[in-house]
Amino acid sequence: MEETREIFWNVGSGSIAVMYLLAVAALATMGQGFLRLVRNWRLGRQLNRFDRREERFVRFLADILSQRRVLRVPDGGFFHAGLFWGFLILLAGTLLVLVQADLFSPLFGINLLSGWFYRLFSLSLDLAGIAALLALCGLFVRRFVVRPEGLETTREDVLSHALLFSILLTGFLVEGSRMAVTELLDNPALARWSPAGHLAALLLGVMDEERARTLHTLFWWFHLLLGIGFIAVIPRTKLRHMFTSGGNSYLAPLGASGALSTIDLDDENLDRFGASTVAELTWKDLYDADACTACKRCQDRCPAWVTGKPLSPMKVVRQIGSAASQSPAADLVAVVTPEAIWACTTCAACQEICPTCIEQVVKIVEMRRSLTLMEGQFAGPEVRRATEAIEVNGNPFGAAPASRGTWAEGLPVSIMAEESNVDLLYFAGCYASFDPRNRKVAESFVRICAAAGLRVGILGAEERCCGEPVRKLGNEYLYQATAARNIGTIRNYGVKRIVTACPHCFSTLGKDYRDLGFDVPVEHHTTFIRRLLEERRLKIEPEAFDFTWHDSCYLARYSDIADEPRAVLAAAGGRIREMALSRNEGFCCGAGGGRILAEERTGTRINLERVRMARETGMPVLASACPFCLTMFEEGITASGAGAELTSLDLAEIIGARLIK
Amino acid sequence: MNILVCIKQVPDMEASFVPNRGGTWFDETALSFRMNDYDEFAIEAAVRIKEQLGGTPEVTALSIGPGRVVEVIRKAMAMGCDRGVHLRDEEAASLDPWQIASMISGYASTGGFDLIFTGMQSVDRGSAQVGVLVAERLAIACVTTAVGFSYMAGRATVERELEGGAKVVVSCALPLLVTCQLGLNTPRYPTLPGILRAKKKEIVELSPGQAGMEKPLTRVSGFSHHVSRPSGVVLEGRLDELAGRVAAVLREKRDAIRRGGVR
Repeated sequence: MEETREIFWNVGSGSIAVMYLLAVAALATMGQGFLRLVRNWRLGRQLNRFDRREERFVRFLADILSQRRVLRVPDGGFFHAGLFWGFLILLAGTLLVLVQADLFSPLFGINLLSGWFYRLFSLSLDLAGIAALLALCGLFVRRFVVRPEGLETTREDVLSHALLFSILLTGFLVEGSRMAVTELLDNPALARWSPAGHLAALLLGVMDEERARTLHTLFWWFHLLLGIGFIAVIPRTKLRHMFTSGGNSYLAPLGASGALSTIDLDDENLDRFGASTVAELTWKDLYDADACTACKRCQDRCPAWVTGKPLSPMKVVRQIGSAASQSPAADLVAVVTPEAIWACTTCAACQEICPTCIEQVVKIVEMRRSLTLMEGQFAGPEVRRATEAIEVNGNPFGAAPASRGTWAEGLPVSIMAEESNVDLLYFAGCYASFDPRNRKVAESFVRICAAAGLRVGILGAEERCCGEPVRKLGNEYLYQATAARNIGTIRNYGVKRIVTACPHCFSTLGKDYRDLGFDVPVEHHTTFIRRLLEERRLKIEPEAFDFTWHDSCYLARYSDIADEPRAVLAAAGGRIREMALSRNEGFCCGAGGGRILAEERTGTRINLERVRMARETGMPVLASACPFCLTMFEEGITASGAGAELTSLDLAEIIGARLIK
Repeated sequence: MNILVCIKQVPDMEASFVPNRGGTWFDETALSFRMNDYDEFAIEAAVRIKEQLGGTPEVTALSIGPGRVVEVIRKAMAMGCDRGVHLRDEEAASLDPWQIASMISGYASTGGFDLIFTGMQSVDRGSAQVGVLVAERLAIACVTTAVGFSYMAGRATVERELEGGAKVVVSCALPLLVTCQLGLNTPRYPTLPGILRAKKKEIVELSPGQAGMEKPLTRVSGFSHHVSRPSGVVLEGRLDELAGRVAAVLREKRDAIRRGGVR
């Protein structure tokens, strides 16, 4: 007997015609729903996310087929992947049936679904269905029984679960009621290749053919209507993420993540800056809101949310979505609230973990731009004082610019104005220039350079704040003004390369200044010292020590620099014990996004939380490579009374102490 | 209604000041400049009246000094002043308050100003004379050290701060000159559209002669370096409490230095 099955067994040609009509109607309804979404997205400003199409498409395929983004968090991710792969195979099977019934059978008279291929087809689809059902049960238990903290369950979620569950179940019942009076009777060997259908047939019980046919008709229609309904509600519920989230793997930025747009301040037509309504965000920002599945992974990792601030990246994205679909003219800043907008450290932990590639940080910075540039608002009076100090004195401390280079007196460093024939320019930054604790890092760094036989120059009094904190706080105007002065000064000396010990200066000079026409290569001292060691230009005497490493957000997440500092410290004799959150999933010190200039008035303090994590490792040294992190840790260690057990050091200090004299 | 705001660009006081070559004032190289704090209150007060009256009053910002003072005039216009007047004098730092007042009153007498706002004093020279002298020369009323200001139907009500926190309220018909003290208001931070608009606004440049500068009545004959001596704090109480309080003070000072920001 031929190993196959009759497609549309027990289904009259009239029913099939109705099925196709319904399918067309469902697809049309779905299309209409997506058109409405597209109209919403088009409220936003233009942005090109369709360049380098091949690269984007490859990433899209890789992301969704492998489910690698979802799987980064096993809780939820594991079951989601099971459900996805299960449904992917079921979809492929359904399409195959469609092709067979409407193409191969009528036109060519070929039956693909026969013999070994049919056995494989039948087994695959049954197993896929079982996998999907099990995964769905797992998700159900997670959402409705375990109920993880912060996971919001709405009617949409209940509906989605009910739909998916009944579609899978009725699928097996259709199969079972057919098999009960076909394969099970006339080809039991073949029935074994449909284990789920076989089981369903047994559960339905032995029956006469007439009863089986009636049940089958009932199940078939029910299954069909559920499927039709499912297609129709996709764009109208969170199920839309099947398209929008996958699509975001195509649309997400390529290369440098978290890059802010550089406002053209010479554009005379501009009179609004930042985003106070959804129309002032880009279309991609509005699209992101429809790609969000409210999985709350971002919220779980947001240092502001974890320490009790009113900011949840997830809620921000969803608030943007509601505004776009319900009240496009609404004051977005008022909806999200200034407190939430100011609480962001731009650490990008949210973006890093987002399974659907949503860009939360740029949205927050756009709203900050509106607050700052349009309203003249600040996160607090202390931030205003620091901003005005940067304006006047070029540093947030309000210290006299003339004293900016005094830390270097007596050290092997030249001031560029006096001697510009140097191997590298050390862009010291405000903290290394003025803060006594960070001056020690600067001293260590220049001693390292001297030990490697390099001549180092600094701009001294001519150097100004790179502009990073105020840019992240939304003050694009002050950022561009201070950047222009630095660029002019550095160009004036014909500098060939720059090294900085500050990830914020590094990221700003090395990436953000590119939009302002600056092209001198910029390196962070971690990679720079790593290279000196590798090239054996720098020799150190290793001395054993135990440490844990804190990854600065602007190194590990924004610039993918996580291996280099670990390699450097290993070479210095360091034995590392990692904190629970490290590398690109590291937890911010609390000072990013300009928050270094601001008081934390709500909740607990982020730096205390990070110091707590460092203490959990039991290591005596908390090493890092960022003046903001160092500052936060010094403060956090003192405040938590951990001074006796934990010392905060910069990588340069550890290497500087091991130089061969 | 026409409003005049007199503003001055002063050095940031964090710098270390050294005498100039003649020993009559400080050397300006390596200094950074900003708007005199009290003058920001003056601008804010003027712009608020303009807003209160639906934008009809024209607010003019006037500054005396070398080319660089255009920066503070632009800032004043970014905050909402309509036009700028630059009385350009490269040697303005050597002028005495009488000369400054003679130029301002010389200019103001041609403009028909109903209200003039100045800072209470400048943070660098600190004579606190210019506003008063201008009012005297124009023969109009003057209220000094304003910490509150309101305007209604041709009359101004000014709150003045007295020693020891006492306050007095003065009522006065226009024209009037007010010198502004800390506490009058919180000056707005210029918005970007404001800054961009300010770039297109007119700044009239006049020479000291055109403004009617007179001869000085006083002359600075010496300037000496400021030796900073932080004020002491006397703590009293039980010995074990004192140690904790000393530690807290030290911690606070150290943290303030570390975190940045002017605290």
